Amino acid sequence: MHPGGGPSRAERLELGLGRERPAKAIFLHRRPGEGGGRERCLRCGHVCVRRGPGPREAVPSGRPRPDTLTPPWVRQRAVTGTFCASWTPLRNRRAQRMATDMQRKRSSECLDGTLTPSDGQSMERAESPTPGMAQGMEPGAGQEGAMFVHARSYEDLTESEDGAASGDSHKEGTRGPPPLPTDMRQISQDFSELSTQLTGVARDLQEEMLPGSSEDWLEPPGAVGRPATEPPREGTTEGDEEDATEAWRLHQKHVFVLSEAGKPVYSRYGSEEALSSTMGVMVALVSFLEADKNAIRSIHADGYKVVFVRRSPLVLVAVARTRQSAQELAQELLYIYYQILSLLTGAQLSHIFQQKQNYDLRRLLSGSERITDNLLQLMARDPSFLMGAARCLPLAAAVRDTVSASLQQARARSLVFSILLARNQLVALVRRKDQFLHPIDLHLLFNLISSSSSFREGEAWTPVCLPKFNAAGFFHAHISYLEPDTDLCLLLVSTDREDFFAVSDCRRRFQERLRKRGAHLALREALRTPYYSVAQVGIPDLRHFLYKSKSSGLFTSPEIEAPYTSEEEQERLLGLYQYLHSRAHNASRPLKTIYYTGPNENLLAWVTGAFELYMCYSPLGTKASAVSAIHKLMRWIRKEEDRLFILTPLTY
Amino acid sequence: MAAAAAGAGSGPWAAQEKQFPPALLSFFIYNPRFGPREGQEENKILFYHPNEVEKNEKIRNVGLCEAIVQFTRTFSPSKPAKSLHTQKNRQFFNEPEENFWMVMVVRNPIIEKQSKDGKPVIEYQEEELLDKVYSSVLRQCYSMYKLFNGTFLKAMEDGGVKLLKERLEKFFHRYLQTLHLQSCDLLDIFGGISFFPLDKMTYLKIQSFINRMEESLNIVKYTAFLYNDQLIWSGLEQDDMRILYKYLTTSLFPRHIEPELAGRDSPIRAEMPGNLQHYGRFLTGPLNLNDPDAKCRFPKIFVNTDDTYEELHLIVYKTELRPSSYTQSEASISASVHPTLDFCRRLDSIVGPQLTVLASDICEQFNINKRMSGSEKEPQFKFIYFNHMNLAEKSTVHMRKTPSVSLTSVHPDLMKILGDINSDFTRVDEDEEIIVKAMSDYWVVGKKSDRRELYVILNQKNANLIEVNEEVKKLCATQFNNIFFLD
Repeated sequence: MHPGGGPSRAERLELGLGRERPAKAIFLHRRPGEGGGRERCLRCGHVCVRRGPGPREAVPSGRPRPDTLTPPWVRQRAVTGTFCASWTPLRNRRAQRMATDMQRKRSSECLDGTLTPSDGQSMERAESPTPGMAQGMEPGAGQEGAMFVHARSYEDLTESEDGAASGDSHKEGTRGPPPLPTDMRQISQDFSELSTQLTGVARDLQEEMLPGSSEDWLEPPGAVGRPATEPPREGTTEGDEEDATEAWRLHQKHVFVLSEAGKPVYSRYGSEEALSSTMGVMVALVSFLEADKNAIRSIHADGYKVVFVRRSPLVLVAVARTRQSAQELAQELLYIYYQILSLLTGAQLSHIFQQKQNYDLRRLLSGSERITDNLLQLMARDPSFLMGAARCLPLAAAVRDTVSASLQQARARSLVFSILLARNQLVALVRRKDQFLHPIDLHLLFNLISSSSSFREGEAWTPVCLPKFNAAGFFHAHISYLEPDTDLCLLLVSTDREDFFAVSDCRRRFQERLRKRGAHLALREALRTPYYSVAQVGIPDLRHFLYKSKSSGLFTSPEIEAPYTSEEEQERLLGLYQYLHSRAHNASRPLKTIYYTGPNENLLAWVTGAFELYMCYSPLGTKASAVSAIHKLMRWIRKEEDRLFILTPLTY
Repeated sequence: MAAAAAGAGSGPWAAQEKQFPPALLSFFIYNPRFGPREGQEENKILFYHPNEVEKNEKIRNVGLCEAIVQFTRTFSPSKPAKSLHTQKNRQFFNEPEENFWMVMVVRNPIIEKQSKDGKPVIEYQEEELLDKVYSSVLRQCYSMYKLFNGTFLKAMEDGGVKLLKERLEKFFHRYLQTLHLQSCDLLDIFGGISFFPLDKMTYLKIQSFINRMEESLNIVKYTAFLYNDQLIWSGLEQDDMRILYKYLTTSLFPRHIEPELAGRDSPIRAEMPGNLQHYGRFLTGPLNLNDPDAKCRFPKIFVNTDDTYEELHLIVYKTELRPSSYTQSEASISASVHPTLDFCRRLDSIVGPQLTVLASDICEQFNINKRMSGSEKEPQFKFIYFNHMNLAEKSTVHMRKTPSVSLTSVHPDLMKILGDINSDFTRVDEDEEIIVKAMSDYWVVGKKSDRRELYVILNQKNANLIEVNEEVKKLCATQFNNIFFLD
């Protein structure tokens, strides 16, 4: 029935998770339409680096459209097509290649039968599921297969990567950092000197690759995009400095991204410049251990951890005072890494550093810090990341079917995914047959959308890489809110950069159809109560829960209510879930059930092959009542599943 | 899974997979102040095991530790790194005295698999070692050193770096061989003491015995009284007793059990003077009191190093009730002046007979206790209990302690789950309870209440949460009826 049942991975559907993603800084968000006053540059406050007219001017209407659609340096390449022979075909054949990739993806997908959810969900679906329940039978399992590539949360994030990483470190051995100084202090000294030198003489990659055009490039102003928050080593008096440093230290979670040469790429708090020597030490530690054919993972101290993730050509470091395990922090860092890939593609990223090892990547990413900031914030509050799944907007099945069908009919040749979302909740998702979206990619899209309000201003057409789908190339995403005053956002993912008008037309047709069938009113109504209350379940001591159906990659949870009203309390609750999750999914000692009794609440985690359930109760509840609540809750979810989940995902 | 890696893969399935347990890679002690300038790095190193390592390699490894510590001070000046995890190993850092750093590097367990083309593929198991366990082992290394050598600083005052290096070399060279890293577990974290439960009368008898003895032998400063490896009375400070207890029960006593079992008819007591028949003898000090040339060498120990800094001699005297039985009581006595042979004879004559009598009283108690607990059939659970306030520990998981291994009766994975729960407990001060079901379907319960911790492993695979809870309640009622645990 399930594993190996279907001839292909029927369950891999792409879904649209409405997760907030910050808009990427380096992309130009602008309406491609040139006529009728629609031509407006949707700037999101990011720095738009580009050639030709200054970034703040409207684009002249005669301008070739492709230029507006790709990151600046990519565009350069297309414009000066002859400049770099090896790159030109790359860009030109992008669409073709993407198609090939999909082909490949499709066939590889078939090999992996084990994850395939059953095709035969028609079998009877148990009322109150048992641990032995097969995937595809649990509440929330799709009737016709899933929409996602199967993510088993953490495990998924790491497996393939580790292989890649070791390959990288191998390379490192041959061409990596020069002979090792004997003393670490020496190394860090060297690095801090190095980074000072580099800031002095830094030359942009573009400048080097496009001599003669360098004067056209605007130097991205350093701090645009977000306010420079509390630089640790600035201050007028010593006391201030002390205070600032102390405040900087006490942040719950620091995140640093740097290049292998020790150049800062991103720092969550404090300016990269001020931290360049700290980052120099980080990269020195990494390469020191790699010289021994070893790899640094984490440092543990009282009250905090430092976690290192190495994804050549980048090094990512988190310093966290949260209760999260090193595993989970590494997972968050991977999200940051994917976030950077989604702006640049993996291919470009490695190309840049192959060309110039000490390239200052901030030139390309400047302005995108906000997207990363937003992602970090989201991960601290939204359980979607922890669950490795998407949450659906609660919606009557009939309405959802109408929406899905309308979305399905509004197709275009180049479309791969059509996703309707509302405030990081998925409303509907239609995918091309045999193409599946990975939850991580969806989360990144959600983050992109939620990190910028500029998408509300019209239609945006932006290149975006979906790193889990294909880290080598860009898709082109059409992003628009359906009506200015609602949270309904439509995301159309296309393979063809030139296809803006066709895709934009899909949006128009979709809206027309919705109106014709009257579904837009029902949708509007549903948006008024985007979350349900846990009281609807009817279990008095139950305060909150997370339930994930593994085969569909979807999860559901009620609104977080009292006593978790403040932000701190909400993060604390998520912290408790994270704690249970990390114990249940511990790589070497996984657990099936956890019952935790704390001073403020009791929690229960239950992980089976088909679903995961996390419940939070009042501290007064007994274990007996908790056990009976499980069954009651599972029955309720089964009863409500067609409202809480997307059971019949569609393909074009 | 397969329990503890049969000697590096000579097992029946060695063909496919070999397992190697965690191993001590290196152990070093350094002081960054001793070689602040370039070219002097070697001076920082006070002790390095294995000593054969090339000089530059030593300097590099010390440099890495310094860098890690310095780096973490960026984020927390007063709480630098405790451990470093890498793919291949874990390093544990401890700064027991200002600027003196002890570092222990433990290799992760390895599984060696045969790849398809026949080449061995090595896989490091990165999540197997528990930080708290090995950090505790490292701290214990220092405590043990300090017990027999005093502080690092004292050695520096007495004879400079040279003397310190000598002492470190002499002590750790042997001590490191007694670390059995693959069998370290939760009990190493607690470093607790097993107490012998006794009725009031017997307890008072022991106390008055100790008082009288200390009075008549005035060089005696502190006395501890043990029975069957369990502590009954101690005059020492808790922390000093804790490490002394560890030494006695895992090193000194076991070393003396084996020869006794081998040669029961040893002539030590053959020519006892007088008619006071007893089986007392010295475990430290002279072997034969009647030999006028017998050497009276007692190990020195250092206690109260934080304030009065006392340098004492450790006298361990032991008596057996019947020569053939295991039951034994030991008095460990600390004296301030160097005890002479004459003193030893006096002690033997005073303590020997009385200790024998006391031992028989205690033995009676022991049998009563045994009957009470033995009346139940084999319980469905095993437990470990620890009280942070008096260091009392009790384990039915561990079958026996030997100098080399502590044998447990449960799967190592379950022991690690206990360790995980313990480290979760440390993160908050509040009372907590955790019940988990492992993949093997065993239930594991951890309770923390009022600085006491209880861990239970239940062997009822088909039980549900409620039944498990009932079972643990029952256990608490019978074993810990006066201790409140969160329900």
